[in-house]
Amino acid sequence: MSVPAATLRRVFWRCLFLQAAWNRRGMQNLGFAYAIDPALRRLYADPGRRIEALRRHFATFNCHPYTAAAIVGGAIHHEERVAAGEEPPGAPLAYKQVLQGPLAAVGDGFFWAGLRPFFGALAAVGTMALGWPALVASLAVYNALHLWIRWSLFRAGHRCGDEVVTRLAALSLPTWAAHLRKGGAVLCGVAAGLFALSAVGRLGPGAGFLALATAAAGLGALGLRARLLPSAYAAIGVGTAAGMAAQVFGGGR
Amino acid sequence: MDYLVVAVVAGLAAVERKGFLQAMLSRPVALAPILGLALGDLPGGLLLGPPLELLWLGAVNMGASLPPNEALGTAAIAAGAVLAGKALGTGVTPAVAVLAVVLAGTLAVLGRTTDRAIEEWNVRLAARAEALLDRGSPVAAVRENLYGMALPFAVSALLTPVAAAVVAWIIPAVLHAFPTVDVPLGWGFAALCGLAAAAGARAFRSAPGIGLFAGAAVVTFAVGWLAGGTR
Repeated sequence: MSVPAATLRRVFWRCLFLQAAWNRRGMQNLGFAYAIDPALRRLYADPGRRIEALRRHFATFNCHPYTAAAIVGGAIHHEERVAAGEEPPGAPLAYKQVLQGPLAAVGDGFFWAGLRPFFGALAAVGTMALGWPALVASLAVYNALHLWIRWSLFRAGHRCGDEVVTRLAALSLPTWAAHLRKGGAVLCGVAAGLFALSAVGRLGPGAGFLALATAAAGLGALGLRARLLPSAYAAIGVGTAAGMAAQVFGGGR
Repeated sequence: MDYLVVAVVAGLAAVERKGFLQAMLSRPVALAPILGLALGDLPGGLLLGPPLELLWLGAVNMGASLPPNEALGTAAIAAGAVLAGKALGTGVTPAVAVLAVVLAGTLAVLGRTTDRAIEEWNVRLAARAEALLDRGSPVAAVRENLYGMALPFAVSALLTPVAAAVVAWIIPAVLHAFPTVDVPLGWGFAALCGLAAAAGARAFRSAPGIGLFAGAAVVTFAVGWLAGGTR
């Protein structure tokens, strides 16, 4: 017994709402149950069995919202076997419990600490250098990438079940994440240079050098675990004071 | 009408940020221009988006941790700045932008508190879903998930216009009372941008990245300077 392709597409669409009711007790449990429900409806014609299946997906669940697609797909893979009497009812839950931690770590490390901030920095630099078309292009590429990866993981989970781990490992996401982090840092440096050039154009060389000096000081302060917003307010205060001094002594425009 | 637009855009951004899709549309680099466009000042939104994005590049929701709510902060800053710029007739200048950050930046921190409250509230939704399942209503039970998007929408749709109104009221008053602070505040904006770039680099948590950041900053500045690219 297998879930039809149209139902799988519907489940994938519902995966995009995984965190809609993230809660402190079951975390993404309600989102998971919402996502997998169309598949369970197909697999269990008997309402009692469907409710029993749905109940096991109300158990606490938390994963990265992108890589969780692989677990939703894999859970359907196991539910198909449970419905066919090939596996015990606890198999889908055991699968989820084993995979949610490792896939959360992979997702956090690659998507949240690598891909998304990289595209954030790329979009920022693109906006400064080329305007809104670069922003739109950056967002379009990011969305094409993450939706393709989510869909691929969902399909791999459904087709391969436990083997999805091997498929995921073959993508070498941690290696890519390291490259993205270095590339992202370079983009932030380019942004600092562009901010400084813009300040020179508007206010004179002193303001440009101030922007670079603040970047250097901020790098040191944040490295010593200074808090972000107070640091931003301090930078604004120092910059404004420097601007007043420049105005008084005739250096600023 | 402007405040209704602000409420709707901010509410949708709050939903997109965590509850649905997560396609970077609620990130500052996108949200500030979207609000600028919606309020009739796209260049103003484009001025604010990049520094706010880099400032909050590390604001990500890992595991059960809660970062500052960069979407709420950005929405209030961008909307307040654009409306203040309209009131002044100048659009969003660096001085307007930096004052908006000073006045509304803390909303991102307040947003973390409201996010925690929403997550506590959602426990009730989960409990209600389980009760509906016990009563034999699986469709109604899983539909509770969608109701979880209502509160983030409402909180942002209420807080953002209020904050934007305060910002849009204070900034013109300050700049009219102290017209000479316009240039020094421009310097303050330059300093904020420098710090934002550094915060972005730190967000990547890459030891080699720090050297790369410094090198890229110096090379970009030097090349731009020599090429006459100051603007």
